[in-house]
Amino acid sequence: MNGLLLTTQQALQLLFTGDSELWSIVLLSFSVSLKAILLTTPFAFLVSFALSHGKFPGIRIILAIFNSLLSVPTVVIGLFLYVLLTRQGPFGDLRLLFTQTAMIIGQMILCFPTLVALGYAAIQAADRRVWETARTLGAPPWFSMLTVFFEVRFALLAAVLTGFGRIISEIGISMMIGGNILGYTRNITTAIAMETSKGEFAQGIALGLVLLLLSFLLTALLSYLQGHKEFTT
Amino acid sequence: MNEPLLVFREIEKSFSGSQILCGVDLSLYPGKCILLSGKNGVGKTTLLKIIAGLEIPDLAKIEISGKTNCWKKAVRSVRKEIIYLHQHPIMFSSTVESNVAYGLRFTSLNRKQRRESVEEALEWTGLTDVAKKQAETLSGGVQQRVAFTRAWILKPKVLLLDEPMANMDHESREQTYQLLVRMKLAGMSLVITSHFMQYFEGIVDQHFQLKNGALELKSKS
Repeated sequence: MNGLLLTTQQALQLLFTGDSELWSIVLLSFSVSLKAILLTTPFAFLVSFALSHGKFPGIRIILAIFNSLLSVPTVVIGLFLYVLLTRQGPFGDLRLLFTQTAMIIGQMILCFPTLVALGYAAIQAADRRVWETARTLGAPPWFSMLTVFFEVRFALLAAVLTGFGRIISEIGISMMIGGNILGYTRNITTAIAMETSKGEFAQGIALGLVLLLLSFLLTALLSYLQGHKEFTT
Repeated sequence: MNEPLLVFREIEKSFSGSQILCGVDLSLYPGKCILLSGKNGVGKTTLLKIIAGLEIPDLAKIEISGKTNCWKKAVRSVRKEIIYLHQHPIMFSSTVESNVAYGLRFTSLNRKQRRESVEEALEWTGLTDVAKKQAETLSGGVQQRVAFTRAWILKPKVLLLDEPMANMDHESREQTYQLLVRMKLAGMSLVITSHFMQYFEGIVDQHFQLKNGALELKSKS
């Protein structure tokens, strides 16, 4: 019990004294995951919109595929990308393995189905009259689409937050194709795993607290947005 | 009667194997008002949406200035001249003046001209007092007037109104009627669907009933 208290005390000390190694890991995590979510979101919502408003065969099958991809284990994506990016792999010449770019690509693949599925649900819930009104008032299709997005902005933001929560807390991809290189590809989750395996719990707990705090913040924000959505509809 | 603005010919539409519209013809004249009546689910809204270019027909032709084109080819140019108003208009989540200004950004007017147009339109429909209010928080009758203003400001040649007075109180109905009269006098071609002929007495020039997928002329003035 004393050991746990001592470790927690050390963890808090690391957090509040601004330990440079710890905060560089936190910053790297946020940098990689923010880039991944920002790069994925526009394309994912375009796909959501096409699935929601398009009239082409196979929409249900495509949706079923995206829904089933929601629960793909991160290590499977990590393994798949490792095979592609390793020196002997088809994209080995790009030398992306164990880089932040590879981590971003992996996280983009991970959050894409989440954003498409939740984006689709949000856009489907939008009143069809929004699109029709925009079109009849002379808006071109792309602007009418942005109008629909604006009308369901809180649900779309909730989708983005859910996607962000999924990628910042994943470990399989970051460990397998990031390689956990200090100052370059070590992020919160790989650092926690490594520190724990070494028996050094203080930094692991400090980073865990950051992740937990983030999780609480995201949940609070999601609840707020949910409430706002209910209030406005 | 003058030359028709637009003539829609042989409109056909079916849903899941059931034929809703079978070869409907409709001519729209400037400054004239057509009333469409018919039972619920008979296809009145579908017909209006096809005319507005919001619904794709199985078959249709459009005649403009004596030249006939297939619907798909002509609908792009025709769409700019026609505005469709829903039975329950949707308000974009912004102020009344932003809602009214929505369509103006797709015209060639500059910012100053747009602002002046909005002010003039709000005054025309008596909405100046609520210009800064959130449109979606207003009552149904006022929202309907915002929708009219949002359409009127774009000066369309044809205005399609789906049950414009449904669920309105007497005062809102009176205000809406006056707006319709002014729109008609301004030369707009109006097509209205409604179950209540009496609400539109004095402005309707032709009354059609949609029955078994075809239009039947009930009265003409």
